[in-house]
Amino acid sequence: MTNSLTLAPAPRSEAAEQVRGEVREFLAAELAAGTFQTGVDTWLSGVDPAFSKKLGDRGWLGMTWPKEYGGHERSAMERYAVSEELLAAGAPVAGHWIADRQSGPNLLQYGTEAQRRAILPRIAAGECFFVIGMSEPDSGSDLASIRTRAVRNGSGDWVVNGAKIWTSNAHHAHYGIVLVRTSPGDPANKHAGLSQLLVDLSLPGIAINPIRILDGGHHFNEVVFEDVVVPGDMLLGEEGRGWHQVTAELAFERSGPERFLSTYPVVAEFARRVGKSSDPAALATLGRLSARLLALRQMSLRIAAALDRGELPNIPAALVKDVGTMFEGDVIEEVRRVIDVTPSLDSPDPLARALAEAQLHAPGFTLRGGTNEILKGIVARGLGLR
Amino acid sequence: MSDQDLVVATVRDILSGFEPFTLTPERPWDAGLWSALADAGLTGVGLPEEAGGSGGELADAVAVVATLAQGSAAVPVAEQLLVAGPALLAAGLDLPSPETPMTIALADAVTVHPVDDGDGPGRFTLTGTATDVAWAGVASSVVVLAPAPAGLDGAFLGLIDASGLAATDAANLAGEPRGSLVLDDVQALGAVLTDAQAAEVRARYALARAVQLAAALDQVMSWTVQYVGEREQFGRALAKFQAIQMGLAEMAGEVTAVAALTDAAVQALDRGENVVLAAAAAKVRAGAAVELVARLAHQFHGAIGFTQEHKLHHLTRRLWSWRDEAGSELHWSRVLGSGLLAEGPELWPTLTRVV
Ligand SMILES: Cc1cc2nc3c(=O)[nH]c(=O)nc-3n(C[C@H](O)[C@H](O)[C@H](O)COP(=O)(O)OP(=O)(O)OC[C@H]3O[C@@H](n4cnc5c(N)ncnc54)[C@H](O)[C@@H]3O)c2cc1C
Repeated sequence: MTNSLTLAPAPRSEAAEQVRGEVREFLAAELAAGTFQTGVDTWLSGVDPAFSKKLGDRGWLGMTWPKEYGGHERSAMERYAVSEELLAAGAPVAGHWIADRQSGPNLLQYGTEAQRRAILPRIAAGECFFVIGMSEPDSGSDLASIRTRAVRNGSGDWVVNGAKIWTSNAHHAHYGIVLVRTSPGDPANKHAGLSQLLVDLSLPGIAINPIRILDGGHHFNEVVFEDVVVPGDMLLGEEGRGWHQVTAELAFERSGPERFLSTYPVVAEFARRVGKSSDPAALATLGRLSARLLALRQMSLRIAAALDRGELPNIPAALVKDVGTMFEGDVIEEVRRVIDVTPSLDSPDPLARALAEAQLHAPGFTLRGGTNEILKGIVARGLGLR
Repeated sequence: MSDQDLVVATVRDILSGFEPFTLTPERPWDAGLWSALADAGLTGVGLPEEAGGSGGELADAVAVVATLAQGSAAVPVAEQLLVAGPALLAAGLDLPSPETPMTIALADAVTVHPVDDGDGPGRFTLTGTATDVAWAGVASSVVVLAPAPAGLDGAFLGLIDASGLAATDAANLAGEPRGSLVLDDVQALGAVLTDAQAAEVRARYALARAVQLAAALDQVMSWTVQYVGEREQFGRALAKFQAIQMGLAEMAGEVTAVAALTDAAVQALDRGENVVLAAAAAKVRAGAAVELVARLAHQFHGAIGFTQEHKLHHLTRRLWSWRDEAGSELHWSRVLGSGLLAEGPELWPTLTRVV
């Protein structure tokens, strides 16, 4: 490759294949026992604390973290295999997803020793859930324009005022990592003066108001802070370095298999249908979709390997999310072009149901975690165009 | 410098003396470039020395093929190094000298008869027409993959001397020869392959095209990035316009996806795995990227890129051709689709084993 987005190939991992097999067995048993039903986009919508706890018990959360913080010191490849198996099965993983993927690594990197000891083992046990408190009503893509502010009071605690929005699963979560302004905006450097706070969501003054998505589901919220007193030792990382910390999170946030497997249950159902019919057009569609999926896996695996090596591949991660989320949406169109099925949330036909869920969730794929326009801008920067 | 970097540097060095040109029936290949490559031993890379090749790894051969693809080199090196040569060796047959060009023909309509004249086994005659033969009329020997002789299972793979055979003048969209060879009781040294071995030969051919596509897509993208950085309109470089940036970011997504999957398939081949599904996937994914990359590359180059004077067409015309060669995109997408379901309707376990 002559462009700057190349990543070295991921190593083959026997250990990853081993744990993959274990997760498959576990999922088959859970499905057979009826503890969950396959769903679409379950890393947003499938909150099941009991299921999260089971994963924690098996050592499948906090997998790459040091043992002293409840982790298991396994490789990013092993973690990747576990994530992928859970998503492919449409398992209810939304409870712990953000904590395990993003907040934990964030704490590991920037947290104080006390913060890590208090929280990481609970995340790894599947008992502590997190939200991302970044977006605000007036600040989406232009995240640096946020207005929620935190000021130190006389006793060194932070007093937080403002509102966050689109906060996924705040109504189920214990903590949020909240991006706040800790010093007034400087028009010359809008990335300065931002900080991250570790906020216990049960603190007085926090209101969590539901916002319903297209299918009526309650997954995200408005979170309002009114004179919320956050203890002074709950600053995450350095005061004023919030922007830097937030952008460093993004390689974890953007590159995982959840960025192209949200609608995989549609593909799986489609394959079952095609297998029965042997319709050549449908077989070709299955082949084309699979080729795209296989390429995405290779891209995403390469990023996991780079993270294992301690690199921070933010630009390729943006690329994976852009290509991956387009794929998630395209699945719906490709399948409906070759199979005569009417999407319906209450159909007895699992393909019709999966398609309906996918259709109603699809607009979110290319928005959450940074919109595709913003991601393409990042890629363009990586290409030296800006 | 890694071995492959060295190989790439050597090929680039040779390429610099041979500008790409518009292929015509009178000038259907770059014989001068071929001789220069052959003199440097590059037409035998990846083929073992004991068999008359130049030695080296599969990755070296892939590097040669990719670099030549980026240079629009009109020579049958991909066919020779990645398909015909390895197929002969896998069938236990001798290689002709790597200094003479060799290609592969997927000849479903050719019938094969064993010759039993007391001269030992392995001698056959071939009759019928081999269509869409890459470098027909250029290659002096052709590896033919055809149905097995009547009464035998599997497929036939054999080598014919094509120097005396006439080829029809057909060409692909880039002008590369893709004519037919009429075989009338032509002698061949050959062997009977299992169906699995024959499938592997076809898969190698598809993967060779995927390697070429991946390399050419990457090159087209770099040309485009460079061009929009230099060309100014409305007082600034085209690269500064957001619409252009978005388009190039999309291209980067396609090019990176193709590279990742093609690399993975090549590595699977190197490990000796069955690569039929991996090759199918790489070929389909690479083919799918062509539309967007070629369209936006032409769009962003404006009218200059639409001319024969500009280099862009040397690669975009090849991209449009290669995606349908060595088995069409439709063919390989069906192979992949049905292959993934061959062991049952549960897609995921098979999908995670392909590469
Ligand atoms: C399902 C879902 C879950 C989410 N979960 C969370 C969460 O847990 N926590 C959280 O903090 N946020 C969350 N978000 C919010 C998400 O990060 C924002 O929606 C996103 O950043 C876009 O912001 P916006 O919605 O305000 O759109 P806007 O920023 O207003 O953008 C609207 C459109 O304009 C385009 N646009 C904006 N600026 C530019 C530009 N400079 N160039 C070109 N185009 C531009 C955008 O790409 C988009 O297409 C979630 C969103 C969704 C859909």
